[in-house]
Amino acid sequence: MTRIAYREPKDMTEQARELTLARGNLNVYRTLANAEKVFTGWMLAGQAALTSPVLPLRLRELVVLRTAYLMDCPYELGQHRDVARTAGVSSDEVNAITSEADWRTDHFNSTELAVLQLTTELLTTRSVSDAVFDQAHRDLGSEATIEVLMVINRYSGLALMLNALDVDLDESARLPIPARKDRTDGLTS
Amino acid sequence: MSRIPLVDIEQQPESIREFMARRGNLNVFRLLANAPNVFVGWSHVVDELFDSPTFDLRTREVAILRAAHLQGARYELSQHIGIARKTGLTEQQIDAIVDTEDVDAAGFSHTELVVLDLVTELCNTRRLTDDSFAKARAVFGDEALTELLMLVSCYYGLAFVLNAVDLDVDAAARFQP
Repeated sequence: MTRIAYREPKDMTEQARELTLARGNLNVYRTLANAEKVFTGWMLAGQAALTSPVLPLRLRELVVLRTAYLMDCPYELGQHRDVARTAGVSSDEVNAITSEADWRTDHFNSTELAVLQLTTELLTTRSVSDAVFDQAHRDLGSEATIEVLMVINRYSGLALMLNALDVDLDESARLPIPARKDRTDGLTS
Repeated sequence: MSRIPLVDIEQQPESIREFMARRGNLNVFRLLANAPNVFVGWSHVVDELFDSPTFDLRTREVAILRAAHLQGARYELSQHIGIARKTGLTEQQIDAIVDTEDVDAAGFSHTELVVLDLVTELCNTRRLTDDSFAKARAVFGDEALTELLMLVSCYYGLAFVLNAVDLDVDAAARFQP
């Protein structure tokens, strides 16, 4: 049960309200809106992350799910098990990635495996070996590597907040994936 | 040695140059600017956290140093130990936060000890017990407690990026809080 009261959209600034409603008025946002002096900036960062076309949606959701699993965050897992399905991740793949070792299978292509290896090593040891970093970097390039790391940054930090505040998973509302102008010349998933 | 090249400041868009002019020409910004689509959004988080009057500077640095230490974030420590000194934290207190773990004898206020306990439990266990949460809430109330979580979250998450890239500490440039 969520440990603090939700902030209702009508009690938010106009910008915070617009950002919250555009993202499904989820419990996570109505909880974090209690930090009203820093909430808007955090929402803007999320908007930028969700609309950047640099990472294939599928790859992004794989990183989110792996991070949520390793951070032991039921709220993120509850949301993104469903969001990932809309990004082309199959139910079997969701189960594989939210398990200790089953993700090392042929579900995933070599780039996805390199990124999952990096995510796993980083979140469990707080650093990454040369070989694992180099493979992900070689596959993705610098811009997309930083975006992967920023996804890990955001969702690991958010997991701490969600777990600390014990935010209830929304009954049915799920994060809407905003439209993005996907690159046609970029990475393939 | 940084595993990803750092961008040239002169070649960055105005919004990124403006942010760096205010906050410092730091390696971390030159690293993250490789991903300009997310850098600008992230910079709003930094600005709001450091412009907010909710915490005094010293309390904020206690939380940041503790999170940086528990994450093994050499880069964050290199920037924030100097800032912590300027906010009045003593060498004994800084050592207690980032090294000796002997916080009881270092003369911290009750509020600072609650911050240290909260950050330590959160970073080590990824959650808070009912008792720890209640204790922190009694000191801070809902708004400031949530903002404290935002601050910890920012440095905890960023530490993964910095450690993954093995970012070099800055020779002279310093963050402007």
